[in-house]
Amino acid sequence: MELSIAKMTDILITGAGIVSAIGVGKDETLRSLLEERSGIRPLKYLNTTRREFPVGEVQLSNDEMCTLLGIDSNSQPTTRTALMGMLALKEALEQARLSPDLYQHIPLISGTTVGGMDKSEQYYLDFLEGDSRNEYIRTHDCGACTEMIADHFGRFQLLTTLSTACSSAANAVITGAELIRAGRADCVVVGGSECITKFHLNGFASLMILDRESCRPFDASRAGLNLGEGAAWLVLESSDHAQKRGAEPLAHLAGYGNACDAFHQTATSADGEGPYRAMKLALESVGITPNQVDYINTHGTGTVNNDLTECAALSRLFGEQVPPFSSTKAFTGHTTSASGTIEAVICLLAMQHSFLPVNLRFTNADSCQKPVSTATAKPLRYVLSNAFGFGGNDSALLFAQSSAEPVPAPKLITAEPISAQRPKVYLLSAAQISAQQPLCDDWIEHPEPLTEPLTRSREADYKQFIPPLEARRMGRIIKRAIATAKTAIDTAGIGIPEAIITGTGLGCIENTEIFLDALCREGEDQMMPTRFMSSTHNTMSSLVAINLQDHGYNVTYAHNTVSFQSALMDALLQLRRGAIGNAMVCAHDEMTPSYHALLCKGGFLAGKKATECSVSMVLASDNPGNALCEVAGMRMLYRPTEDERQQALDGLLKEADVTDYHLTDGYPDLFGTCYTSPALDLYAAAHLIKDKPLVVRYSDEKHYSLILLRPCSAC
Amino acid sequence: MEQLIQKLKQEIIEVLNLEDIKPDDIDANAPLFGTEGLGLDSIDALELIVLMEKNYGIRLQDPNQGKEIFKSISVMADYISKNRTK
Repeated sequence: MELSIAKMTDILITGAGIVSAIGVGKDETLRSLLEERSGIRPLKYLNTTRREFPVGEVQLSNDEMCTLLGIDSNSQPTTRTALMGMLALKEALEQARLSPDLYQHIPLISGTTVGGMDKSEQYYLDFLEGDSRNEYIRTHDCGACTEMIADHFGRFQLLTTLSTACSSAANAVITGAELIRAGRADCVVVGGSECITKFHLNGFASLMILDRESCRPFDASRAGLNLGEGAAWLVLESSDHAQKRGAEPLAHLAGYGNACDAFHQTATSADGEGPYRAMKLALESVGITPNQVDYINTHGTGTVNNDLTECAALSRLFGEQVPPFSSTKAFTGHTTSASGTIEAVICLLAMQHSFLPVNLRFTNADSCQKPVSTATAKPLRYVLSNAFGFGGNDSALLFAQSSAEPVPAPKLITAEPISAQRPKVYLLSAAQISAQQPLCDDWIEHPEPLTEPLTRSREADYKQFIPPLEARRMGRIIKRAIATAKTAIDTAGIGIPEAIITGTGLGCIENTEIFLDALCREGEDQMMPTRFMSSTHNTMSSLVAINLQDHGYNVTYAHNTVSFQSALMDALLQLRRGAIGNAMVCAHDEMTPSYHALLCKGGFLAGKKATECSVSMVLASDNPGNALCEVAGMRMLYRPTEDERQQALDGLLKEADVTDYHLTDGYPDLFGTCYTSPALDLYAAAHLIKDKPLVVRYSDEKHYSLILLRPCSAC
Repeated sequence: MEQLIQKLKQEIIEVLNLEDIKPDDIDANAPLFGTEGLGLDSIDALELIVLMEKNYGIRLQDPNQGKEIFKSISVMADYISKNRTK
């Protein structure tokens, strides 16, 4: 297939906002950085018994944040993650001078893992018995947090949420940039937010990676990280769009890379394969050589393991000439899911004001290289920022000075114009574990009726997929993820997929619930590390990668009912611009009777046939002849008007040159309902499609999505 | 001591979810970690630290201490019998 080779769409950053332990807003943040004032302090705001751990808390109570934002906390549910997110987003939108009438054309993409956990851990027992705080049941999920942040300002075009643990916000930036490159948006708002909770404070404590003193990244005496919290947002736009409305660029987003360490759920590899690949991809994506990088804001958590791994990766990529680097987590603490954009904003400040941020509390090196330990003025042209997450979800962002010369990018393909030249995308295989017979399509001939309010999945025989020593630590959802992934890959005959992209509404909710229950009933001592490890949303995607030894692109979306559609959108964007030739798109959700009861109280599953979902499907831009169908396009919208729904359908059909088609609203009678059941709908549609193109529609009070399938007879 | 060793075997099987292993399958003197013996890893070590605190009132602050203590069930039982507070 002939593809036009051209320069990457120039992506500018025209707004930035930040809230962290070292200040509310860019001005305070800059002052703290220049005056070397750390934000690590004794605990003040979190109500916990674990007071032995210093943290980087935002120095505002929830009430104070509500006052700053003009929110009446009695009239609407708010979480600390959402409030911090709003404060930072306000600054970014104001700086970009985006008027609210533009929001409906702008996608907003966030990163978080904690989501509404601060309120869930406060009200969990009340959810079960008291019923006085049930409005907080549905603010728990990551997507709800993004919706609260966005809704405070207006109606954005599309909302989604990345949840790849500590690289979540960095991956939100990447997805946003992909939407601009694909010509799907002129402007996107991207960021992340995360507050400290008892849940992950105790989780990190159980992994024994929290320092009881202020953290010392890269120092020989380092003994762990300090948790931090905060939020940061960026406004990204195409240079054309920025020019048209006269927006001033702060910097360019010049490149990025995402790779998977595929080594261990919580530990990092000795050779730094994931970090090395992520940084290398970021440099390659823009075509600069390692010696052009002027500064690296490292992930640098201060754990023995992370810093060694990161230094190994730096040595592999930069050799003897490692550029000046530092970890600003000694200032902010580890702001986990938000760290990707918090550190991006710190990089922007360093570029604007020409200085190298100091790595506080560094005195002695071990086998790591030495970070920047004294204040240094230096003009910065290219700056790299690293963010690595549990499960080995590693990302790197590359920023360029806005006055830097145009960046050559010979390897990249612009998406403009949307044309038939783009590669088609085929669905090669799909495997499910659900309420129907697992890992087969018996449901077509012999459907199992759904008779209960909650039908849990029929389990497959996992022994053939997972060795017992590995299986013992896996919850049911993880076993299902691996079994469906291996089945889909075998059927497609593709070997190791180039990308694994997963959607999940609630992640490993069974383990999360057990951990939360123990936390609320038994107190904060003696929490079990295995439960915590399996509570992050990216556990399935990363364990599948570890199992397959897949170092390719790997992300997880967690945005309630559009988690799967977001994952599919990401895969389509990358397949269509030729960045990858194939991708595995997965959707996994599990449900316990107790959590089902909560979600019914919260209004999501009441009156529906609730189920669980595990689907893995392989998409590719080549059809070796066995494809189930073509995925000819999709649309995703947040709170669309009737007109916008119609326009979305018309646009989708026109783009694929389709006039005669069928439309389905899914197959809830066969596969039931859960956050990712739209994946089961697509799976079923791909098997049931006959002579005509088929539109699979999903619609609820907030989200609307359309996926267009074309039968292979017409591909 | 023999009684404590038996009890520990049972507790370890339970907390580490070693479904296919029975107490008698475990050699009390065999290494718990690495490729010989049970083949446990660093996360199991963290679980064993929680187990020691919960069941025997022994609090370790440095995960590296575990390397010595968790050499084998016998070594672990010996350490527990000398340091237990409950």
